Amino acid sequence: MSETVIDERSSHQRVDSHPSDEAPRRTGKHAATNRSHVPLSLIALSAALGVLAVAAVYTAGRHGYASSAWADGVYWLGQALIVVPVAIRLLRRHVLTTREVVLLITVLSVAEYFVTVCYSPTSFTFADELAHWRTSVNILQTGKLFTANYQLPISPHYPGLEEATSALVSVTGLPIFESGLIIAGVAHILFVYVLYIFFRRITCSYRVASVAILCYASSPHFVSFDSMFIYQTLALPFLGLTLLAVWHLSSVRETGAHASWLFLALLMSAATVVTHHVTSYVLVAALVIISLSALFIGKRPMAARTGLVALLSAAAAVAWMRFTAAGTLTYLRPFADETVQGLRALVAGGQTRAPPTSAGPLGDQALSAATVLTISVLLPIGWWRIWRSHRNQPWPVAMAIVAASWYVIVAARLAVADGSELAGRAATFVYVPVAYTVALAVGYLAGLAPRNLADSSWRWQKRAVAVAALTVMPVLIFDGLANGWPPYWERLPGPYLVAGSERSVGPEEIATARWVLAALGPGNRFAADAGNSPVLGTYGDQNPVLADGFLYTSAAYTPSDIAQVQALAIHYVLVDLRLATSLPASGQYFPVDPNADRYAHPLPLRDLTKFNQAPGVQRIYDDGNIVVYNLAGEGGVDAP
Amino acid sequence: MRRSYVGAGTSAVAAVLSCVAIVARAPVAITAILGILLFASVGYVWAKVLFERRPAGLERVAVATGLALSVPVIGGLGLQAAGVPLHRAAWVYLLAGVTLVGDAVLITRRPALHAKAIEKRPRFRFRLGWQAVTYGAAIVVAGGAVALASAGAMTQHYPGFTQFWLYTHGNAGVANLGVDNQQGETKQYRLILLRKGQPSGSWDITLSNGQVWRRNFAVSETEVTAANLYMLPDLTHPYRHVSI
Repeated sequence: MSETVIDERSSHQRVDSHPSDEAPRRTGKHAATNRSHVPLSLIALSAALGVLAVAAVYTAGRHGYASSAWADGVYWLGQALIVVPVAIRLLRRHVLTTREVVLLITVLSVAEYFVTVCYSPTSFTFADELAHWRTSVNILQTGKLFTANYQLPISPHYPGLEEATSALVSVTGLPIFESGLIIAGVAHILFVYVLYIFFRRITCSYRVASVAILCYASSPHFVSFDSMFIYQTLALPFLGLTLLAVWHLSSVRETGAHASWLFLALLMSAATVVTHHVTSYVLVAALVIISLSALFIGKRPMAARTGLVALLSAAAAVAWMRFTAAGTLTYLRPFADETVQGLRALVAGGQTRAPPTSAGPLGDQALSAATVLTISVLLPIGWWRIWRSHRNQPWPVAMAIVAASWYVIVAARLAVADGSELAGRAATFVYVPVAYTVALAVGYLAGLAPRNLADSSWRWQKRAVAVAALTVMPVLIFDGLANGWPPYWERLPGPYLVAGSERSVGPEEIATARWVLAALGPGNRFAADAGNSPVLGTYGDQNPVLADGFLYTSAAYTPSDIAQVQALAIHYVLVDLRLATSLPASGQYFPVDPNADRYAHPLPLRDLTKFNQAPGVQRIYDDGNIVVYNLAGEGGVDAP
Repeated sequence: MRRSYVGAGTSAVAAVLSCVAIVARAPVAITAILGILLFASVGYVWAKVLFERRPAGLERVAVATGLALSVPVIGGLGLQAAGVPLHRAAWVYLLAGVTLVGDAVLITRRPALHAKAIEKRPRFRFRLGWQAVTYGAAIVVAGGAVALASAGAMTQHYPGFTQFWLYTHGNAGVANLGVDNQQGETKQYRLILLRKGQPSGSWDITLSNGQVWRRNFAVSETEVTAANLYMLPDLTHPYRHVSI
């Protein structure tokens, strides 16, 4: 790999300058020889072929080859065709225009989004997507916002995604699934663009910005939670546009434009607040940190303007939570408590409750460890570059401060039960400053070789450092793909898996949920396993009980069980007899499962069929695999 | 200058045509195009209203897209607060109305801009060459990939199943008994209704794939009613069983 040209400009460059959209001017023979001979269209074609390879192997997975080693190999070949040419082109020394950089990040983002679409191309299957699909259906059917969503009760109170989807469904006549894919896809690509523009503004370098985008693309949720049909996907570009507007508000010299940028900042902030809770809090926190950085550095006008938007955003978020989404704190508190407890235990040196951080294949774990180590090493180098060159600029300083949270999410991953998921969710936000800081480090290290080639005594060592720095980026991206979503056990779509997330959503489960809705009506308290629960809560519009393992893990339906059923107001129980055939793919049989990752054998069949002999329990539905019992029958539990 | 008028005019036409298409119940092929054009129009127009010259290029596209997405998010809340049901007409009129208001602002503001120098930017020229052909091939391949994945998902083989149910709901004295064949082919069943453990009714049913059979009948709350479903020719082992 050849050396990189990353123009990390001096700190003296005005932050309010508008970087040119044109390539750095190079004249004569050097310019001609320093341009790549590989046209971008071929890189786009390579990415498309990569998508085709992945789509082909997904099809193979659906037709019986989901566990084949060769299928896994073809999947990674497809991903390599997408990622590697783009990464090489962005990282090599050849001259690139801004337009080419934009095209390359577009190719990467669109191709990976197509891969996401190909995973589930005819309907939503991921639990969170199903929950937002349910809210969209409710809005379209009732014409009202804030209707009940039993699967994700907080979702209707942050209806931005569903409003945009309902509007698109209404004006185009397209189905919800297709409209949802369009909204999620546009939001995802928009977020990548805004991020790139944002990085370019604060680095004044489109090359460093492009490396930062590559680094951000290595976030484990870049191709999943950041591009799925979930509320965060739409909130992210709103957050990015708010920050971009604030950047302009702080730096633009045209007084006439101030009002426009302020209007845009407030509009996007309001849109963030009504679209996703955590994203709106992250926005407020980011604005406060930027404002304080500006104050500390002595840029009071910038501090005042940023502080004003922070204050108004905070007021909007608090007002929304107080008057419209009162359940937000109740929803978020368990996650926060668990995280704080885990971190406290870690700091105190005590025993944590964390399960093994990854039960994946050794190669995936090695990639994950390498990524943690690499970013942990590169961050201090990036901080040093910020201290050397950008310490008088509030935005880089704020990014450096927030980048420190990387170590917190690494600690959370090790210390907190379910920490991998928490760390992954946090990564969406933490990777923004981390990507910026790492890009500065990579830029510096990769730039060592061309700047110091005259010093022959250190030539090969510096060249090795440069090559290593450049090799790091694709490795980070492959780690994001390997250890993100979907997990290794359902990397390829395929036949039914017990408690297997997307692999547990099929025609039989959907037909059962639809029958339940048609026959029993919406909103019944239902016990179900982890695989059926999201389908029942969305297609079936039922109210699933999460901690319901006690109903499936004893040989008899005892008075104690009946008391617990009454306490939880459970009306029906869905029993999937396939739980007795294999261990849960996700590690947990039930939505909230205290024995997650500890099962050694499948559930005994007698534990699942005990309701057949229970007095007063009605067996109202049977399709062979799935049986539904009414616990509120005569002599049974009273209906709530 | 002229281009701005053309842009404002085009977005106004898109807004009006979208409304007409909804009223005239135009086919999805038409409403899909007009609807997406309407979304694009609202973003384009308000980006133009807010920012005359800068930002440009990619940043302008991003701002316009963000504005387009934020209009239904904020506007939907406004409609809900005003008591307007969020049905199809409401969304169309919201987007069209916001677009037309923006157009009106642009058109009334135009004369003031005569005095200002409008910055000219080089136009992007698209040359039809082998690169364009390669890009076109990339788009076709990517589209084909999605089509392949869709075909794979639609032809995925799942084990067939038969839904069998018996329940009382709403009216406690009436039960609903039903069979839904999802085996992928026509199946013959025998259904035997049991009261107090004794057969009280029998039906021989032939259902094609996707076909449903159902009956309502009176039940007593004090006796157990059950039903066995047999899949012919096996009349020895109940294929499905329900009881209330």
